[in-house]
Amino acid sequence: MCKMQESASTMVEGYLSLENIILRSIEEEHDELSCPQKEETSCSEKEELIDIATLVQSNCSKVPYYDLHIIYSASYRVPVLFFRAYYGDGEPLGFNEIEKDLPAHSAKALLDSKWMFITQEEHPYLNRPWFKLHPCGTSEWMKLLFHVDVSVAKNGVTVELYLLSWLSVVGQVVGLRIPLEMLNQQ
Amino acid sequence: MAAHDSEGSILVFAQFQSKVDEGFWHRLSSLKLNKLGIDDSPIPITGFYAPWSHPQVPNNLTLLAQSLPTELSEQSSTAATSHGNRNRCPVQGTLYNMNTIESFHALDKKNLLKEEAKKIWDDMHTGKAVEDSALLSRFLLISFADLKNWTFHYWFAFPALVLDPPATLVDLRRASEYFSLEEAESVSAACNEWRNSSFTAEVPFFLVSIDPNSQATVKHLKDWETCQSDGHKLLFGFYDPCHLPNNPGWPLRNFLALICVRWSLKSVRFLCYRENRGFADLGLSLVGEALITVSQGWREHQCLPNAVGWEHNKGRQVSRCINLAKSMDPTRLAISAADLNLKLMRWRALPSLNLDALSSIKCLLLGAGTLGCQVARMLLAWGVRKITLLDNGRVAMSNPLRQSLYTLDDCLNGGEFKATAAVKSLTRIFPAVDAEGIVMAIPMPGHPVPNHEEDSVLEDCRRLHDLIDSHDAVFLLTDTRESRWLPTLLCANTNKITITAALGFDSFLVMRHGAGPFSSNHDFRAEAANALSAIGNVARIDSDGRQRLGCYFCNDVIAPIDSTANRTLDQQCTVTRPGLAPIASALAVELLVGILHHPQGIFADGEVANSSSNGSSEQPLGILPHQIRGSLSQFSQMMLVGHSSNSCTACSSTVVSEYQERGMEFIIQAINHPTYLEDLTGLTELMKSASSFNLDWDNETDLEEDDDCVQV
Repeated sequence: MCKMQESASTMVEGYLSLENIILRSIEEEHDELSCPQKEETSCSEKEELIDIATLVQSNCSKVPYYDLHIIYSASYRVPVLFFRAYYGDGEPLGFNEIEKDLPAHSAKALLDSKWMFITQEEHPYLNRPWFKLHPCGTSEWMKLLFHVDVSVAKNGVTVELYLLSWLSVVGQVVGLRIPLEMLNQQ
Repeated sequence: MAAHDSEGSILVFAQFQSKVDEGFWHRLSSLKLNKLGIDDSPIPITGFYAPWSHPQVPNNLTLLAQSLPTELSEQSSTAATSHGNRNRCPVQGTLYNMNTIESFHALDKKNLLKEEAKKIWDDMHTGKAVEDSALLSRFLLISFADLKNWTFHYWFAFPALVLDPPATLVDLRRASEYFSLEEAESVSAACNEWRNSSFTAEVPFFLVSIDPNSQATVKHLKDWETCQSDGHKLLFGFYDPCHLPNNPGWPLRNFLALICVRWSLKSVRFLCYRENRGFADLGLSLVGEALITVSQGWREHQCLPNAVGWEHNKGRQVSRCINLAKSMDPTRLAISAADLNLKLMRWRALPSLNLDALSSIKCLLLGAGTLGCQVARMLLAWGVRKITLLDNGRVAMSNPLRQSLYTLDDCLNGGEFKATAAVKSLTRIFPAVDAEGIVMAIPMPGHPVPNHEEDSVLEDCRRLHDLIDSHDAVFLLTDTRESRWLPTLLCANTNKITITAALGFDSFLVMRHGAGPFSSNHDFRAEAANALSAIGNVARIDSDGRQRLGCYFCNDVIAPIDSTANRTLDQQCTVTRPGLAPIASALAVELLVGILHHPQGIFADGEVANSSSNGSSEQPLGILPHQIRGSLSQFSQMMLVGHSSNSCTACSSTVVSEYQERGMEFIIQAINHPTYLEDLTGLTELMKSASSFNLDWDNETDLEEDDDCVQV
């Protein structure tokens, strides 16, 4: 048992999360054909009772859900967007499938940009492999963003404003749009 | 048996749908490996669900990593459920995780469902379900975790007690159509309050009481008696995960059964509570009226009704299966991490990086000592996957310090063969490497072969020939000069990329051999080549008319001889400054990568310095030297270019064509009689003429000084 040092700070580390997001509108039924053939048990269990009160739904909609987390990176000293995608039954999407699912313009932006690309890494809190937008270019383009803002030069940047600006760029990659009202609040 | 009811149709419910987060399987796998072992007793788990709130898809019963108990103790049957929040209403469940796929299939599903349904039935009769209404949505999960393939077979059951005869639906409509405007406003507000309070957010079944002034209050189920007495309008509300406009969700089934058992109601007005973006939405919520017409006997405690609830999978009653190797298999994760790392390099700094060439090239490393170990590691770092190491030695006690693939364990019991130990070590570093170890000695000139060993030496020669043939790049990393002769010849013969690294005490040489003498960069006809070579002394020039770069032996004027005999101990142990081997090995691999990215590959000219004036190189990786000679005592490095020699004992056309004609016979002759090579290539002649020169010169000087031999 190690002794816990008394911590002067009462702040707790955490992260922002937005979960179970569906990024694009679901196309009906076209996913039917693309359902991968999963291994099924050879023995199909039959219920003795045929229950007329149960609605049986047979559509196989493979809708990808996204979990998005914003985590502060101590080494790069910028916020980092972590995300992962999975289908309705929990099966995770690989990077190639995510690329296909992301809004078309963002996929192109990723390829062209030397500031943003996706890598896979252990989530610092959940210790599972998540995808993240690599942060090594973040401080460069954030500087550019604020460079043109006169008020920033005078008053500095609040955390909220920083995050909003950051998210307005980063969010485009996953198709998140910040409502204008949020940006107009100061 | 459905009795035909004139009042309405059978009430049909939409099934609960399950969603298992990958973290749940991950946690279950570690539990299984670390704690459970072969114990397959039931495990209490917690599921989470919430009212429907996404426009197009239903909410699910979700399992997360925290669904599994943190402590598995004796009293596990009543473990506390995990904490949820307003979006995760916790629900108790039981997990039966089996050890084999056969036992998974052999489970008596009907019985398991019945057992779980009985728990709910008992809770209804004892009143526990009224106190803790989430117990109405108990569920069951059976699974089999195949931890070799990271495949999980599973099946959910959401036990629902079947009303006999089934309930009928009198009316079902949007809540906003049922309530008056005032009532709707009040109900929304009351529900939002219920959802926002941490005391009630996780209570999925409740009462909505509306007084004559259209003011609504949300109450716990246990307040039903008091609600009865004040005669207000009463609805039975529940969190409805379903999104369909004409069907209530599954939790209503057991709710109706509870209402029937506890309060003997025949007509039940219910509210399917659904949300939009976290707020009560009465346009999406439904209000309906159901009629329950079961017999008195049905309600008896000792008569457990039938239960249904095994989850349908794509419309059929079968189990599900999910493969998570990509996110859970450590080897796969290591591979994708390594690939992403290289891709990062390409994205950020080197868009022309040819990752395919690197991952498909087959490298042969002759020598698994200080140089071999480092070269292997550097190759791995560059994404090379196919590495063969050849060495006939065993790991000695002094090796692990300088030979980075070995540890003390490899030295014990006489020492493992280096080639084998190296392969094991590489595989531990990166399981996806395709590494092979060959325990074999390289036949060397100057080390004559006794007759009885000739066959085995011939065999080794052939084996080396085949090895070189089947690889794309060969690294000469042995510790003697003569051991590099045969590989150099064989590489020149097949025009393989060859890289030599050699160490002195504090200096090193790293070089790439030129192309073989009969190779061509273009589609030149053989006649043209022959015509050129007929004009004496142009065997150096390849069919393009350009000079070939030289090999390790091109600057020698004597053939390789036995350099190991008559050496002092320190010379035999090839003592070098430790920093040299890593430097030389690293340069050797970078040189290979440079060749692979150069448009002319093995035919590329040797560059000495960056000739471009603005500092940026033509090639993205920079210049491609021929030879790098470095010195640690000066911390310096210089680049040289040496062209091939007509009289080279290893790569000249004379020697290579002799090998092509006479094969192994020629090799044996060269091994047994080193002067043979000198004779063959004309070096003997050259030396004679050089010495005769000296004699003429030194006519007038002291005879004694003539005896000074200059060793080259």
